Amino acid sequence: MTDRYDTVDELDEEATEAFRELIYRLADDEYVIAERDIEWQIYAPTLESDLALANIAQDEFGHARLWYDLAQETGLSEAACLWEKPADQWRHSTLVELPYTDGDWADPVLRSYLYDTAERLRVEALAGSSVAPVADRVQKILDEERYHREHAQSWLERLTLGGGADAGTEESHAKVQDALDRLFPHALTLFAAGEHEETIVAEGFRTETLDDLRREWLDVVIPYLESLDLTVPEPEDEKRTATGRNGDHTEHWEPLLEEFTKTYREFDFDHPVRLREGGVS
Amino acid sequence: MIWEVFRQENAGDYHKHCGNVHAPDREMAKLFAQIQHGRRMQTKSLWVVPQEEVGEVDTDDTSFGGTTDKAYRWAVTYTQVDESFAEEIAESQAEQEEQAKKKREAETND
Repeated sequence: MTDRYDTVDELDEEATEAFRELIYRLADDEYVIAERDIEWQIYAPTLESDLALANIAQDEFGHARLWYDLAQETGLSEAACLWEKPADQWRHSTLVELPYTDGDWADPVLRSYLYDTAERLRVEALAGSSVAPVADRVQKILDEERYHREHAQSWLERLTLGGGADAGTEESHAKVQDALDRLFPHALTLFAAGEHEETIVAEGFRTETLDDLRREWLDVVIPYLESLDLTVPEPEDEKRTATGRNGDHTEHWEPLLEEFTKTYREFDFDHPVRLREGGVS
Repeated sequence: MIWEVFRQENAGDYHKHCGNVHAPDREMAKLFAQIQHGRRMQTKSLWVVPQEEVGEVDTDDTSFGGTTDKAYRWAVTYTQVDESFAEEIAESQAEQEEQAKKKREAETND
């Protein structure tokens, strides 16, 4: 039986480190996928699909906020969790940092499906977390995630050939297959362990192991994607060493981080602009 | 394809028309309508209806309420009655007077 923690203050030093890793895995994934998804604003195929994806991104930013707030309760500043966190301390999966190709709508749709299915499983595995404030956040997130999956699946059924009455064309099917071949190895890094994984499970922060989650995820996504006549790559053949979870990212990560922290850096907080006391400096 | 969207705020209310969405089919229309018409407003239920399924009759087709004076239908002769004893009557009367006024104005403008 593991200890229960009503607040994060009760964690000792080692447990706090592990807890931050767990929170960063969640928060960084949400933040970075949202950051990528908003790149579609004004470029999605129709006004409606644009709004739907923007809405999903907004939900994910909201979830990131829930987790970063909790990270701050462990004594970190918002800047330390986010704006000033060095690139190699981000713990998101490489799936979420990959750039989109202009006009390749199959990618955000499939990425969302792979990600949001994993999201549901891992958040469910936090419902019984030994840390009360983690468990408290679960239901809020799950309620919104249902829409995300419905949205992604509705699109997938319309873009692939296996979607029955609503099936897509040869061209749209090929684009989804292409996205699947490209994204699948990265999606598996969602379940890659970080440095403190043993403690995360031993402390009961998460009630399932990553291997269990990975197995459950494969049991959901493989039959579903195959029902759409897609060919799913063999998971065992796809071992990436840069998983993101270990701080090792793709070459696309640093430019993205640079871009979304640019405004923060330009604020120059150490030398705030003053309108009085000697004029504008 | 355009789907007209109707929103119900609370159980028991009428679904009121609130706009439309472009979507290839009913399922996608329901998904998009949730974002566009249900996210920021109090919503209990949404209907999506294919635009071409909506029947319309407008002022080019008919004269709504006829063209003759129907003032005899008002309860105006009961001038000594205190309407406040029944709010519904007072409201109904006020509503009819308002509508008749609008109609007269519309005719004057024609």
